[in-house]
Formats: sequence, C-alpha cells, structure tokens
Amino acid sequence: MQVWTKLFAKSPFKPLIKHADVVLNTVETLEKALQAWYACDYEGMREFAIEVDRLEDVADRIKEEIRDSLSSKLMMAVAREDVLIYLHMQDKVADAAEDTAKWLLVKKPDCVPTEAKDIILEMGMESIKAAKLVHEAIVQMDRVIESGFTEGEIKREYEIIRQIESVEKEIDGLDTKLMQLVFENADSMSWGDGFYILNIARTLSNISDKAKDAAERIRLMMNK
Amino acid sequence: MAWAIGANDAANSMSTAVGAKAITPKQAVIIAGLLEFTGAYFFGKSVTETIRKGILDPTMITDPMVLVYGSVAALLAATIWLIIATKFGLPVSTTHSIIGGIAGYGIVYAGTAIVNWGKMGQVVLSWILSPIIGAIMAYLIFKAFTKSIFERKDPVRSARIWSPFWIGLAFVVIGTMFYIKVLHGKDLKTGVLMYGIPLGIIVFVVTYLLIKLRFPSSDPFIGVEAIFKKAQVVTSGYVALAHGANDVANAIGPVAAVYAVATMGLGGMQVPVPKWILAMGGLGIAVGVATYGYKVMETVGKKITELTNTRGFTIDFSAATVVLAASWLGLPISTTHTVVGAVIGIGLARGVKAINKDIVRDIIISWFVTVPVAGLISAAIFKLLMIVG
Repeated sequence: MQVWTKLFAKSPFKPLIKHADVVLNTVETLEKALQAWYACDYEGMREFAIEVDRLEDVADRIKEEIRDSLSSKLMMAVAREDVLIYLHMQDKVADAAEDTAKWLLVKKPDCVPTEAKDIILEMGMESIKAAKLVHEAIVQMDRVIESGFTEGEIKREYEIIRQIESVEKEIDGLDTKLMQLVFENADSMSWGDGFYILNIARTLSNISDKAKDAAERIRLMMNK
Repeated sequence: MAWAIGANDAANSMSTAVGAKAITPKQAVIIAGLLEFTGAYFFGKSVTETIRKGILDPTMITDPMVLVYGSVAALLAATIWLIIATKFGLPVSTTHSIIGGIAGYGIVYAGTAIVNWGKMGQVVLSWILSPIIGAIMAYLIFKAFTKSIFERKDPVRSARIWSPFWIGLAFVVIGTMFYIKVLHGKDLKTGVLMYGIPLGIIVFVVTYLLIKLRFPSSDPFIGVEAIFKKAQVVTSGYVALAHGANDVANAIGPVAAVYAVATMGLGGMQVPVPKWILAMGGLGIAVGVATYGYKVMETVGKKITELTNTRGFTIDFSAATVVLAASWLGLPISTTHTVVGAVIGIGLARGVKAINKDIVRDIIISWFVTVPVAGLISAAIFKLLMIVG
C-alpha cells in the first residue's frame, strides 16, 4: 500500500546527523590548519583553510535540504521549531570554524608570540572537543527517540550536554587569558597583530558558544 | 475484486515487515502470495453470507435476478472504489467497500427500508472505534515495551528476558486469532486454551533458548531489533494467512450468490461455496499481490526507514490484539483502520520520528466516503444492469 510510503514522512534526524558529520569534519580540518599555523607553515595552513571553506559550503547545502523537507504538515517526535533552531546552531559551529580559517589567512603567523600561539592551539583542540560532543549529542538524540524517550537515554543525553557546557567554560577561560596576554604585551605588539590574535580567539570561542546553544536546543527537545 | 484486494490489502499485510527491512519486497510478494492463497483456499469460509453481514433484509428480495445483478453491481462498485483508493494510496476497508456496494443496490431496488440500519450503524462505529482502539493499544504496548526493556538498568539483560515474553504473548494472541479468523472457530476460550497459550509457550521457549544461545549484540537497540526482525516475518505471514481466509469472502461472497441463483435458481441468506470459487478468489488475491502489490511493497521497502522492527512488531501485535478483542466483544472492527491507528499511536508515544499529517487526514476522509461512494457506484451499475437486463 502506497500509504506507508506517504504516511511516514522523512524524518530529519538522520540528515541532522549527516550535517553534524560535516560540521565535525570542518572543525577537525580547522584544527589541522591551526597546527600548520602553529608551525608557521603558511602554505600548508592555506590548503586546510580552503578546505574548511569548502566543507562549510557542504554543510550549508545539507542545511537547506533539511529545511526544505521539514514542512509543518509533519507530526514529529520533537517540535519542528526546535529542530530548525538546532540545525541553525549546529550550522553556526561550521560558520565559526570558517570565520577562524578566514582570519588565519589574512596574514603570515610569524609575528605571534609562542605563548599566545599555545593558547590558541589549545582553544582549537577544545573546540574540536565541543564539535565532537555536538555530534555525539545529536546521535544520542536519535537514540532517545529510538527508545521512545526512556529515562536512561535522556540521562545520557544530559551528560553530553553538561560536557559541552563545561568545554565552553574552559574555552571562555582560555579566551580571557589570551585577551590579558595581548594587553600585557601591548607595547611590544603592533595594533594589527593584537587585532589579528584577538579575532582568531573570538571566532574560535564562537565554535563552542554555538555548540552550547545547540546543546541547549536539544535539552528543549527532550523536555517537551 | 480479488485482484483489487490483493493489490490494496494484501500488500498491507506485509508492509510493516518490508518497511522495517525484515524481508525484501520480493520475498514479501512470494510469502504473501502463497499465504493469501493458502488462507483463502484452505481456510476461506465454505459457507458465505450472500448479503454480507446482514446489511439487506433478504425477505424483501423476491426476484432472484435482482440478487444476481445486485451482486455484480456491488462487486464492480467495490472493485472500482478499491482500485481508485489504491491508486491514491489510501488504505480503505474492502469489507466496507462491499457493504457500501450491497447497500447501494438494495436502496435503488427497494428503498431505504431494506437496509438494516442497525448494522450500518455498527459499520460507522467501526470507522471511529478501530483507529482509536488501535492507537491506544499500540501506545500502551509500545510504552510497556520500552519500560520493560529500554528503561531498565541493564537493557541487554532485560532484552534477553523480556523479548521472549513479548514475542510469546504476541503468539498467544496469534494462536487464538488463528482459531477464530482462520479456522472460523466460535468459542474464544477454546481458542485461548487450545491454540493461543500452547503456541505462546512454544514460541517463548524457542525464543528464550535462541536468545540464550546467541544474543545478536551487546547493544540492546541492535540486539532487540535483530530479534524482532525475525519475529516480524512470522507475524506478517500470519496476517497474510488470516487476511486470505477472511477477505476472500468479500470477493467471492457475491460470486457465490450469483452461482447459487444460476445453479439452484434461488438465493438465500447463506449459500455453500464450491472449492473452485474459493480457489479463484485465492488466485485473484495472489495475482493482485504479484502484479500491483509488488510495486507497492518495493516502494515501501525502498522508502520507509522510520519503521524499526520493534515498532513494526508493536503494530502487528496491537492490530491482532484489537481485532481479537473486538471479535470477542462482537464489535465490527476493521483491521486496516486498526493498523493505521496503531501507527499513529506509536507516533503519539514519540516512537515514530515523523508522520505526515496530511496523509492521516486523507486516510480518515477516505474511510468516511468508502460506504457512500461504493454505494453510489453500485446503485448506478445496478440501475444500468436492470435496464439492459
């Protein structure tokens, strides 16, 4: 009976995981770019940064596809608005990674003090942690639905959300540390160098900010 | 008519198994075709009511030719409506279609007084009751299912213990249903004690041992799905068998009436059905499955990814339980409607990820128009036959 094909509309959850895969890939590529940047390998960094840009485009395309398929005519396990806002936040994680890549490209990294570089690299690694956790969170959300919203699976989801929040806090701390460092070295640093470092830091911390927003949205999906 | 039943309904019996990827569409066609034929030929009623379910008052039909023309009109009308519904992918009840067809010609022939409105009221009631009870049952079974397995501290251990229980319980229902629907038994107690419970215990023990021997995975989700995947093949097969045994009457009942008039020159309330007519009906259903049903199941197999094995099993289990309880209470319940209700019930338990609301609305509308539309088509055909004849 054809009705079975029509009765079950395409659920957005598997495509959301597909989108999360690309987002994670984007952030992982950014980390490679940061490592090349750390090693002052501008050409290597450039290649990775361009790849980040391409991956962000792929994420955008998947996002559009999901949006187009999510009509209000669906009865879903979670509210449509929450799914759409979640998707927006998840996509913002890739956007933030792309912004960082753009900032990395604007100048050669030889002027950055090692201490600042260390902090930035650490921020990058933490960002990957956040992106990985977002990926884990949406995969877990799928399991929450598979299980028919059972306590155990919801608990596991809350644990991932808590970890995302803690990573975000960690990055915030590193961000503050970097700001202090830049201002402490203001005399030995040009205005442009300081601006460059701070913007890399800002866009990097944006990754975990958006990851946290996405996690918040998942929390809402479970509460309704 | 039998072809249309095969195309519309029989594909339905296997669709949860195909949708949940328990079997391929090709396998489904072979299994459904064989079981539908077996059900229709070996277990189809050898005596069938010519004026199905007492919709018309037989004392008001004095001319046997009216019965012949009327039966042909009702059959054609039901077939036309079923084909239209199948084309639009709407799961309408074949029983309701034929009832509409019969009422249609009856009204044209002798006015509204010939129709047993009490019976018709029951039919209308079944439109409303079937999906609601199906939804409630599926909701409860799905919740009980998740509570007993997924919500436990050690879901893998719970799955090992509870899966055989649920499968065994489903087979208690199926065994009893086999007695009532396939063997056309009357006493529910006999069905439960002689068929249901023994079958349930056998299935429980076999499943328990099989799981003990080899649990498919340490992950309860994957493991449980793998177990129910196998159970689902059997439940779907049962649905096909029972469907063949029961619904063949919708196609051959009016044929039997025509046959009775042609051979004996009279038409009664109940007539014996020769085996060859049952075989024809069974063959028609099997051909319907193979020709159109195949296409339907192939699409189902390719497109539905939202129906897991546990959910497919829950739908089969709920539908069987509701139909059984309804037979016991004497309520006119439609299996098709119950199944759709069950799907929605699981959706309400937040177990299905996305259901198309528009399609649900279309299905409900199609249920309400089945009897009147089949009636109107039948009335027109009957009138034409009376003029020509």
